[in-house]
Order: sequence, then C-alpha cells, then structure tokens
Amino acid sequence: MINNIIIAGVGGQGLVLMTKILSQAAFNEGYDVKTNDVIGLSQRGGMVWGSVRFGEKIHSPNIRAGEGDIVLALESLEALRWAHILKPKGKIIYNNTIMYPTIIQQGKAEYPVEDIANLKNEYDVLELDAVALATEVGNKQMANVVMLGVLSNFLPFKQDSWESAMKLNLKPQLFEMNIEAFNKAKKIK
Amino acid sequence: MNNDECKKELMTGNEAIARGFYEAGGILASSYPGSPTVEILEAVKGYPEIYSEFSMNEKVALEVAIGGSFFGSRSMVSMKHVGVNIASDPLMSFTETSINGGFLLVTGDDPGLMSSQNEQDNRIFGKFANMPILDPSDSQETKEFTKAAFTLSEDLKTPVMLRITSRLCHGRGVVELCDRVEVAPKGIIKDVNSYCMLPPNSNKAQHFMKERIEKLTEFAYDTELNRLEKKEGADTLIVTSGLMYNNLKELNPNASILKLGLVYPLSKKKFEELAQEYKNIIVLEEMTAFIENEIKLMGIQCEGKKYFSFTAELDVADIEAGLISAGVIAPKENSKVLKERIAVPARPPLFCSGCPHRPIFDVLKKVKAKTVFGDIGCYSMAFLPPFEQSVSIISMGASLGIIKGARKAMTLQGPEQPLVSVIGDGTFFHSGISGFMNLLNQKKDNENITVLILNNSTTAMTGGQQNAGSGIYHQGDYMNVNIKKLLEVIGFDRVREIDQYDYKTAKEAIEEEIAYNGLSVIIAMGPCALRYKIVKPHFFVKPEICIACKSCIKTNCPPLRMKKYEGIDKMKSSIDKNMCVGCSVCAQVCPVNAIRNSELEDETNDK
Repeated sequence: MINNIIIAGVGGQGLVLMTKILSQAAFNEGYDVKTNDVIGLSQRGGMVWGSVRFGEKIHSPNIRAGEGDIVLALESLEALRWAHILKPKGKIIYNNTIMYPTIIQQGKAEYPVEDIANLKNEYDVLELDAVALATEVGNKQMANVVMLGVLSNFLPFKQDSWESAMKLNLKPQLFEMNIEAFNKAKKIK
Repeated sequence: MNNDECKKELMTGNEAIARGFYEAGGILASSYPGSPTVEILEAVKGYPEIYSEFSMNEKVALEVAIGGSFFGSRSMVSMKHVGVNIASDPLMSFTETSINGGFLLVTGDDPGLMSSQNEQDNRIFGKFANMPILDPSDSQETKEFTKAAFTLSEDLKTPVMLRITSRLCHGRGVVELCDRVEVAPKGIIKDVNSYCMLPPNSNKAQHFMKERIEKLTEFAYDTELNRLEKKEGADTLIVTSGLMYNNLKELNPNASILKLGLVYPLSKKKFEELAQEYKNIIVLEEMTAFIENEIKLMGIQCEGKKYFSFTAELDVADIEAGLISAGVIAPKENSKVLKERIAVPARPPLFCSGCPHRPIFDVLKKVKAKTVFGDIGCYSMAFLPPFEQSVSIISMGASLGIIKGARKAMTLQGPEQPLVSVIGDGTFFHSGISGFMNLLNQKKDNENITVLILNNSTTAMTGGQQNAGSGIYHQGDYMNVNIKKLLEVIGFDRVREIDQYDYKTAKEAIEEEIAYNGLSVIIAMGPCALRYKIVKPHFFVKPEICIACKSCIKTNCPPLRMKKYEGIDKMKSSIDKNMCVGCSVCAQVCPVNAIRNSELEDETNDK
C-alpha cells in the first residue's frame, strides 16, 4: 500500500498547504497520519520539504531512505534531490519549473538538466507544467493544488475526502477555483 | 473518556499545545516569535477566551505570564530555545516562588539547528531552574502533557517546562479534542515570604525548591507520564523520550522501552529497580547526555552517547546504526545497499523577490564596506554568497555592543577604519534599544560608526509577526513607534531615513555616512515584500541591449538568471515573470537600461 509521500520544493511554493491538504484527506479516509514540515529559515527561497505518512498506525513521521513511495516535487532540481529516498522504481511526479539556487544563478554551478532527464531510467516519472495549468485555470499560485490533483490519481482516496480537506484549508473565495484546478489536473496520469 | 465520542483533528505540535492550554482553562499566553514555536501563539489567538500577545522580547513575555500566574490565572509563555536565555533572569528568581496560577514555560529546542544559531539543550536550563521537564512524543501527547503540566504546576507549586523539538512543533498527528474546563483565579496572594525574592526570603526559597524537587522525584516513581513497555525475555532496557520514542518504535528492537514523559527529575528508586531487572540500560536521546547523566549520577551503569551522536537529529537510520553497535539489534546481512545520492547543488535561503534588504547589501558590497557586523533576522542571510557582508552574527541585538567594543578597541590600538553594523526593526525593538543607548556612553568625536536599521515593519524571519513599529502599515491594535524620533529623543543627532527601493539615493546616503567620521544612523525604510504582499507589474530584459555584465544577477533576486536567447550568441540576463514582483532594483542597477517595466513598455523579445 502506498503510504510514504515526500513533498519537495522551494520556499514560497505553498508546500505547507499541500502537506495540510494531503494529510487531511488521508485523515478523512480514516487513516492514522503523521507529517513533517521543515519550515523556518527555509521559507525564503530555500529548499523545503515535507513528508506525509498514513496507514493503520504510524509511529515516526520520518521516511527512511529507500522506503518512499512517491516524491511530489514542485521544482525539477528538488525532484532530483529527493529521488534517493524512493523505493526501487518509485514514482516521481514533478512540476518542470526551474528555479536557480544562488550557486547556479551566480554561474558557479550548472543546473543538472541531464541528471533530471535521466531520472526516468530508474524511476516511474511523471513530468508536468503545473504552473501553466494553474495559470490556465486562473492563478499560477495554484500549482500546488494542481500537483495534488495529479497525485490523487495514485492514491485510494475518495473525491469527497479531497474536497473537504481543501475546504478546511483554503479561503472560501478560492475554493471553487482550486477545485477546478484539482479536477483538471486529475486528467494527467 | 470514551474515545469514540471524542472529536479528532489533525494538529501540529504547536497547535496541540494551544489546544491543551485552551482545554486546561488557560487565561493568559505570551510569547516572542521564534522558530520552531511561533505558531503556538498564533494558534492560541483562535481561542477568544484567552488573552494572548507577542511581547517585546522573551524576558517581557515571561514576566507577563508571571503576572498572570500571580493573579492566579493559568498562564503559558512560549519561545524558542535561545529565547530562554533572554528570559532567564526573571525565570531564575520566579522559580524560587510558590507561583499561584499554573505556569508553563514552553521551549522549542532545535536539534540539527534547522533555524537557529545554536543547538543548546534546554533540559539543562530546566534542571538549572529547578523545574520539572515534560518531553512529549507526538501531537496527541503534546496536548495531554500541556494539560498535565498545569495540574502538576498547581499541585506542587512549581513552574513547569514543556520541552518540544522542531520536528514535533511542525509535524502533524491526530489529536482527540476535549472540552475546556474553566479554572477560577485565586487572586493575588499577599505573602512577602513566598513572593518577594530577596534574602532572607530567597534563602528559605532554596530549601523550598529542594523539597519541591524531592516531591517531584517521588511523583516521578510511578507517574503515568512515564511508561514501561516490556518485551518478553529482553535483558536490555532502552530509556528514551520525545520523538526518539516513535523513531525507535519503527525498529521494534528486542528490548524493553522505558518511555519517559517526565524527563526531569527522575526517580532513583525506580531506576534501581530497573537496574536489577535488566542487564543493559541504553539511553536514546538527542543532543546532550542529559538523561544518561542523570542516571549515572544515581550510580547506575548505562550507555548512551557512546552509540548516538551528541549533535543533530537522530533519525531511524541513526538509531538503527547505534543499536547495532550496542549489540541490541543484529546487523542485517542482506540489507539492501542504499543508492548513492547524486550530488545536487545546495539551495540555501535567499532574500525574497522584491525584498527591501537586497539593495542595501548590494550597495554595501559595492562601496566595499570593510567591516559589517550582522545581527539576527532575515538580513542575517547577507553573510551568504553573493553578498558576504557580515563579519559576525551572534545573538539578537548583539551587533550594537559588538560595534561599540570593536570601535573603542580600534581607536586605542588602530589602525582606523569605518565600522558598519546592520540591525532590523524587530531586533531593534527586541533588544536593540539598550545597545543603542550604550553607543552614546562615553561617545567621542571622530569615532566612525554607521548603524543601518533595516525597517521592514515586521518580524519577517519568523513569518511576519507584528512588532512595535508595524502600525505604520496597520490600524487597530498595532503599535506605531517611530524609530527615528525615538533615537533623536535618546540623543542621536545624526539619524536619516532613506527609501530602500531608491537605489541611487540610498547608495549616496550610505557612502556619505560611512565617510562621516562620527556616529550616524541610517534607517532604511521599505515594507517586507512577503508580509505586505508587494506585487507590481513585472520587469523584463531587452536582450539586444543587455551587455551581460551581470550587475542585476549579482543582486541575487530569485527571478533573475542568464539564459540563451534565440539568435543571440552570448548568454544574456532574463527575468522569470512568474517570480518577479516588480520592485525595480534590477532595473536601477542596470548600467545600460536594458531592464524595463512591463506596465510601461511592450515585452517583445523576452518570453
């Protein structure tokens, strides 16, 4: 059963909201749930990540290297960074946005385009442009919800569980638009 | 209680503390924002029965909570681990009293220093202050322990410390909700012997505290806060607490587990019994050998730091390695070799798009300020490449004392050079004011000091909490202290305000004040781009004009990057319009006017 999910990205991309919605949806399904959110300093454009574990009984919120089921990455380089945590042939869903860390921006290192492209040789990779889809629906900031919509295809949760999790964690005026983004993203498999 | 009837919710550790305080009938909660505990007070704000405030600093916050307790109301103060250093002066005397309303100090420790300047283990502080220390292991227990703390506090007339670590603060788990139980205040007790902490009262208080710890030790013998999980036939006992317990459970070792909830004081009687029962005692704890040392002080043999690191977090794999070396679990012969990690460029934090601090550090770098003393806040990040503009960062407000001391020493021993320090508005209000006044203490002419106050009108690093100067952008409860007027009243005669986004004027002002051979203060104004959601039309690069000098790139704004344009050989600058908030700083530093405002001009070449 799939129950170890890593969410990775760059500070400011809305990862905490993703962890909240995903964990709430799992909770709505009746699972025991534990999460991590590494926040604090890193919210300023630094590396951020979270983990969601759900199942009958969860002890540690941490996912051990080699035991992750899915990496859900909001940025290409961050998908590469976390791939090692997956089980063999684990799933990577990543938004192909490119954000340069300082060292690359300042010309002291290269963006590892090839390594990212090679991920598909070892993992079950699904690449998408979540920002474009979110923009199409109405707001580029919904890229995080688009990612959850794609993820939902691979989790055994009812639509209801997702919708009520989103209702709980989104401003009422943004709810409808986010549901639309979520549902559109479900077509990406 | 019947669990089935309980409403359940997913909560972070921080939210669970707030919930526990609410259910316990809490009345007054104070704090100073600091990761990992900042969301406790933010969650408390959701309960209208409770008065809550982010105070000016941790010392004041602790004193506010003492006031609540002295009235007889249940009171809680929360702060990050280093905050307790600030608050330790009142704490060390308050703990001599017999309190009144239940009192809880929450400290957020940060193993691995995820967002802190040090990794101090505040359990040592709890012992130092003669307080019992509770250490929860998940959100549910965090709520329960918060409530238990108030009963313990009032039963034994003691302040209680709840020690929680970063990962539990931010991690979520399922929490059962209960109703709030109101607790009537007892009113102020007029008893000088118990509350006026000067000799001879404080002499007597030493005995009171000793007896209190003895009672707590008796309580520790069979409290339900601690739990022994026996493993049939095991001759090893693993003593642990907090998140380490849950990490350990993932391994299911062949050992009994003593899970401590009350980590100080420990019951010698209990451990002597356990030492009879078990051949080996292993202590699993993050950071210092606190529990291990307590057990060893009882004359009981145990091991801990021999197997586990004294620093950083201990994850399941670290615990597994430690227990293998301790011989508790067998090395896995067929353990799969973990994949080698591909080296991936690090991504340290950086100033946000549109951050008002960016142009200041770009200027400081350009004017070649030789010595810049940094302080604690978002602007601490200026020590990182590409700015590299801090020679030291120590603690909140420390830059002012440090620049003063360096100045005096340099004047006596030379050679002379201008000194600059940088402090934010939040840190100014927290503990900068006294440092500022001290700059006037024995001030001499011709002592070149330039202090930059970066005023973004919020406590930004911790998520944009209000501070004493936030009223400039807000109405209502917000205070609106004017830093320039305050400094002038104190006696500073050379204080000027500049607009951080007006690059040219800011640069001139900084050059002038650094050149001025005396004490001057520059207040660089500009609202936090994140907190005040500054978003204006984006800028774009005209690649045919760009000369690839990288002046804009050097400002380290996230949307900027060099890229290949069709039909142009050389890499030219570009701006990711999804990330740009239109602050214009890159356009102002461009020497050839290649960066344009999308509102004023059609974007044709850039995508």
